[in-house]
Amino acid sequence: MIRRGVLLALAIGAGLALGLAIARAAIGSPTFELEGETYELLAPPALAIVGVTPLLFFVLSLSLADLPPLQRWLGALLRAALVACLALALARLARSTDVTRVATVLLVDVSESVPDAALARARREVAEIWGARGENDVRLVTFAADARVVPLGGEAGVPGALARHDGADGAGTDLAAALQLAYGLFPPGHLRRAVVWSDGGQTRGDLLAETSRAAELGVRLYAVPTTEAAPPEVAVTGLVLPDRIDVGQPFPVRAQVFSTNATRARVRLYQGETLNGLDGVRDVELAAGENVIEMRSVVRVAGAVTYAFSVEPEGPDRFRENDEISSTVVVPGRPSVLYVEGSPGRATYLASALGAGDYEVDVRSPRAIPTSLRELERFDFFILSDVPADQVSLTQQDAIERYVRDLGGGFLMAGGESSFGLGGWHGTRIERLLPVHMDSERRRDQPSLAIALVIDKSGSMNGAAMDLAKEAAIATAQMLSPDDYIAVIGFDSTPSRVVRMQSARNRLQIVRDIGRLTARGGTAIFPALDMAYQDQAVTRARIKHVILLTDGQTQEPGIPELAQIMRAEGITVSTVGLGADVNRALLTQIADIGGGRAYFTQDPHNIPRIFMRETSTVARSNVVEEFFQPRVSTPADFLRRMDLSSAPYLHGYVATRARATPAQTILVSDIGEPILARWRVGLGWSLAWTSDVKNRWAVEWLRWPGFSRFWSELVREHMRQRRRQTLDMTAEVVDGRARVVVDAIGLDDQFLDGLDSTLHVEGPLGRGASRGDRFERDLPLRQTAPGRYEARFDLPRYGSFVLTAEHRRDGRPVAESHAQLVNPYPREYLTIEPDVALLERAARVTGGHLAPSVAQVFDPGDERIRHHEELWPKLLFLALILFVLDLALRRVRWLDRSFRSSPARGARAR
Amino acid sequence: MELIGLSAAEVLTVLGGFAAAVTALYLLKLRRRQVEVPFIHLWEEVLAQKQTTRLFSALKRIFSWLLALAVVALLALAMGDPRQAGARAEGRTTVVLVDTSASMQATDVAPDRLGRARVEIERLIEGLGGDDRMLVASMDAATVPLSPLTSEPRILRDALARLTPTDLAADLGRGLRFAHDVLRDQPQPRVIVVSDGVLGEPGEAAARLREAGAALDWIRVGEGGDNIAITAFSVRRYPLDVSRSEVLVELWNPGEEALSVELTLLGDGEPIDLSRLRVGGGERLRRFFTDVSGADRTLEARVRLEGDARDVLPADDRAYARLPERRRARVQAVTTGNLYLSAALLLDEYLDVVEVAPAAYPAEGEFDVTIFDGWVPPEPPRTPAIYLEPRPPEGTRGPFVVTGTVPRPFFDRLERDHPILAFTALGDVNVAEALAVELEPGDRVLGGDTRAPLLVTGSRAGHRIVALLFDVRRSDLPLRVAWPLLLLNSIDYFTTQDAGYLSSVETGEPWRIPVPAGVEEATLVTPSGERRTVPVADGRAVCTGTRAGFYRVIAGDADDVFAANLGPSEEAIVAPRDRLELGGEAAGPPVIGAAGVRTELWMLVVCAALVLLLVEWWTYHRRLTV
Repeated sequence: MIRRGVLLALAIGAGLALGLAIARAAIGSPTFELEGETYELLAPPALAIVGVTPLLFFVLSLSLADLPPLQRWLGALLRAALVACLALALARLARSTDVTRVATVLLVDVSESVPDAALARARREVAEIWGARGENDVRLVTFAADARVVPLGGEAGVPGALARHDGADGAGTDLAAALQLAYGLFPPGHLRRAVVWSDGGQTRGDLLAETSRAAELGVRLYAVPTTEAAPPEVAVTGLVLPDRIDVGQPFPVRAQVFSTNATRARVRLYQGETLNGLDGVRDVELAAGENVIEMRSVVRVAGAVTYAFSVEPEGPDRFRENDEISSTVVVPGRPSVLYVEGSPGRATYLASALGAGDYEVDVRSPRAIPTSLRELERFDFFILSDVPADQVSLTQQDAIERYVRDLGGGFLMAGGESSFGLGGWHGTRIERLLPVHMDSERRRDQPSLAIALVIDKSGSMNGAAMDLAKEAAIATAQMLSPDDYIAVIGFDSTPSRVVRMQSARNRLQIVRDIGRLTARGGTAIFPALDMAYQDQAVTRARIKHVILLTDGQTQEPGIPELAQIMRAEGITVSTVGLGADVNRALLTQIADIGGGRAYFTQDPHNIPRIFMRETSTVARSNVVEEFFQPRVSTPADFLRRMDLSSAPYLHGYVATRARATPAQTILVSDIGEPILARWRVGLGWSLAWTSDVKNRWAVEWLRWPGFSRFWSELVREHMRQRRRQTLDMTAEVVDGRARVVVDAIGLDDQFLDGLDSTLHVEGPLGRGASRGDRFERDLPLRQTAPGRYEARFDLPRYGSFVLTAEHRRDGRPVAESHAQLVNPYPREYLTIEPDVALLERAARVTGGHLAPSVAQVFDPGDERIRHHEELWPKLLFLALILFVLDLALRRVRWLDRSFRSSPARGARAR
Repeated sequence: MELIGLSAAEVLTVLGGFAAAVTALYLLKLRRRQVEVPFIHLWEEVLAQKQTTRLFSALKRIFSWLLALAVVALLALAMGDPRQAGARAEGRTTVVLVDTSASMQATDVAPDRLGRARVEIERLIEGLGGDDRMLVASMDAATVPLSPLTSEPRILRDALARLTPTDLAADLGRGLRFAHDVLRDQPQPRVIVVSDGVLGEPGEAAARLREAGAALDWIRVGEGGDNIAITAFSVRRYPLDVSRSEVLVELWNPGEEALSVELTLLGDGEPIDLSRLRVGGGERLRRFFTDVSGADRTLEARVRLEGDARDVLPADDRAYARLPERRRARVQAVTTGNLYLSAALLLDEYLDVVEVAPAAYPAEGEFDVTIFDGWVPPEPPRTPAIYLEPRPPEGTRGPFVVTGTVPRPFFDRLERDHPILAFTALGDVNVAEALAVELEPGDRVLGGDTRAPLLVTGSRAGHRIVALLFDVRRSDLPLRVAWPLLLLNSIDYFTTQDAGYLSSVETGEPWRIPVPAGVEEATLVTPSGERRTVPVADGRAVCTGTRAGFYRVIAGDADDVFAANLGPSEEAIVAPRDRLELGGEAAGPPVIGAAGVRTELWMLVVCAALVLLLVEWWTYHRRLTV
């Protein structure tokens, strides 16, 4: 008993030691080579089961079996081998071996561009391959925009028909994605093959690029291109609009239509929501192949215009989706001209002439002159005709100057009785802007002028009014020629001679004297006016004029009578009323009787301009009223195409003096005074037309046939060319994503870097596009290279889109870009002819080819693949055999058979 | 129960065969050993008792036979690899999308994020039930399955070993579309995204997966740290002065703290500029290097953090660019002699001009541009062409159908923005007479008046053309600076591709690299030296790559280098996302604890057989069975 216990303990101990040792060794090196083949234990700890073999021998030691010892031992060894077999099976012994089995994934394109007949053929060929697969593995995938695994085998085998994918999925093809799905279907230990049935049309992904990966993964690709004749199909493949469309100018719209067969069709062209007016519907004969259909259209209103072209074939047409295409074009508006006319009733002549020359003309009275640059920005050219300076505020003058200098706008002052010097423009910003001086050389030859300024210096004038009155008096003195005379009389309750009547050449003294004027006291006009009268009466001058400035009320008698007397002696009187409390009736009466003009203003800042205008008017020195034919002094581009010698006479002009170069005097009068002069100011042009544009001095010109062309060409050459710099922008759709690139190169050949650019996308536009479906988004454009900006975004709709980019620097817009993007319908419907070349190239890169036979599909060629073959089923089979052998060894006495001759043996035993 | 190893018939065959063999052995009567005894009567009593136990002996024999049959049955059954009936259909089907994009190379966790992802996926595999199936796919710009749908851990672990990081941005939408394709009609679908969450937009596929009942889980990896990235690097030659170029480098610090960095610019592998910069938190700092010299072919930018700061994502610290080549343009001038033309072409030192008379056209050799001076070839040339007064002879169709002439036309309208007209002033050019022509669709009039176009661009027989529709000798154009400018601008328009030139391509995108004509295949050499055969379509090698660096394309005799960089992306953000929304819901970590236990029944059956064998061995030798 003790001996048995000891043996059992020894057996268990030996078993444990053996099991642990073997398991440890197996875990340490689960891979081993045997006769050139590699074996591996996938679950090496299970090999510890071998540790039970000592127990077998322990049991053997206690055996009561009536068998020869050798047979018993052989039985034990067989049983140990059996246990070892099972242990190896549980340890999952695997053998690495080279195999030639092929796994083939059959990829069938079921997108809408593939004809039904091609699908039926693909199904037949799939069934053929399935039937011939033998030990090889075959999987089936159908794909369009998405890929789907189709189960094979079972009772059905290959499905009776290959179903197309439902919904929008069928309207796309992604060959690369189908191939990627196939990578996941190859079982281990098989050579990899893929066969694709397709027309090669791709709407997403890139099969050629994907083939490199397929080759890397060991996938050999075969391709079976669609060869079935496509059903009759008519598709609009393009719509070409001219690069530039002008409002009112007819232009051709060319549609490209592809037809698989000759047929008749009705085509329609829509402009916006409605049929194109010029050429809306037409029946055409389509030849097989590409057709170009040209229709004419005209755009009447500037802005974005979307054209849609549709075709309706008489015969069968496979896809309706590709029967319409739309494209949007931005039509620039006609150049716009702001025409401010001092006599609006006489603005029609020039406005009509410019309108005939394809301009938008906005005629306004001086009151409606824009006060801000933003308002002026809308216009390309600004004509200020016969408007006095006192009707244009300093703010407006400032805006005009910046409009020319900074925005590049064109500005022209046209002459008239209230223009140039006559309008009081002398010394103003506008004069500095113009290419002419307003003091004419001619004035030196004119008879002298005696002017008396009678200025109210009562207490109410204190402050700005007094200062501006002095400024006006000084400006008047400076306007006068040295031959003229000036007197300044200040008055409150009593008059005083601030400047006694003297020659205007004593300017310094006169200015100093005027500066002594101070405001105080009441208001008594009569004595002051009388003093002026007395001074004028003793002065020798051809023109004698008095300007009376007052801001107060007075009820003095005799003033009208005095004015009457002065008028009788050739002394004219004009009056200037300042403020709301002035006695308008009296001042108007004085001016009427005195043969002058009455001015009223509440803004003392207007006083200087009124004085200057009045002085110019009185002097009349700048007006030249004589017939003359302007002649060209300096050639200009816009005059090149017209014969100015046929131009009629002008009847007068305002005399000015040409500025020095770079100012150019284009047209001159017969005595060489400027009629038309120009120069560049900042980014824009400033021009002076010293005659008028109305029926006074230019009355004959209005009837001249070249009048409209003259002004149209003049404006065209000098108007603002564009509002901002335009940078090239291109847009395309790649893989369903829009890719927009702006090339930003400045006029100086330098890259425009560091712009803050925003892209605005809007669409689809035009017929049938409802506002609810509208895609509208602002996107940043990112700088990706010197002078290059890019944006990418998903385009979830089909149709025509307008892209606008604004480029800013330091918050200010510096440039803009415009582009159109047409994504008419899914590209699937453009696949009409199979792309055999693509499929052939893709197959060739992976070692495959077109149209393989069934045998070729499963032909391993020289390829082998290393495969891990799990051996546990074989080990179990071996265990069964060992078990039967073990039984046979115990059930049959194979050894020690000598007992048959037992008598002899027994005798020997005895 | 169903069998996925041997079929039921095969199992029954094996069982039947071995059972028959076993039974046959049991039918054999074991011959008893003869033992001679000295006196038989002493044994008679024993033999009498033996007669009484005969029935018991028979029973022991039957029990032994049954034990043997049971062992055979169990082993045969195990060979059939039995599975619980319907269990396969009830198992979960999981697609693991492993982010292998550039940000997964971050070393903020040991060994790096992809290594951590492998550990997480290993846990998933360990928790895989026997009836569960899993597919492991790498997800960057493309999604590539690395294993089939399998329940075999070894195959899945092989797939894990093949995960490699790329210099690409992740495209989660594409990955989810792939998962949707794989999981369609599969039981208990589940997608597990293993990522730092910098993944791009999930798109509509996430919602479609949710609708299909798929669970969407996310295993978050990464902790965050400092990172400075080069997010843009490119070089362009100036449009007119092509001898000079400008370089853009954009650095991005996606973190919150300002970083001090050192930026090195290398030209042809040698340092040409070094700058020290401070990049604020969240700042994208652009640096422009104008008039770069010291490099003919390649440029490389490197950035590193100064001091002790550690950049956890070195992958975005380098960027590469290829300088656009400035090669001489070969011009063929077909003329009977035009001094103005010859003189204008002499002004550009980068032109190789060959003048031929019309009778000798075409000249030997290949040309980039052909100029036809007052003569039109019978067939359109296979190069871009400049036509000067293209009046075709009788019976020949030139680039335009000529309908007559127009006297004294002017350049009233000019497309001043077009590169051909750069720096030209044509407004006052006097022309004696111009051809009146019919334009073709796609033609663009660059200058002319309402009566006639004078300067037209378009395309004929697949090549671009520029046409001056008058005889320049009958105009004052040759006397102006605009004449050579117009001519040289036109040649530049054909020969330089600068407007579309990219100094580098984006990793992951399909690349189309120009190769010489007539080549059908090219060899792509990756930055690691690996060679690949790539197809050529439309004169361009079509390929793609996943690593940034300099690639070579060898096609015929040509051997050219181009650069690839990671495209615009958020990959530089090394702080992992806190939340990943998929299909309208936040994705959370998968519940691994609920995973089933692998139930490979054959192993249990074999274990049972082993136990029976031991029992049978014991009973036999102790004569409990015979």
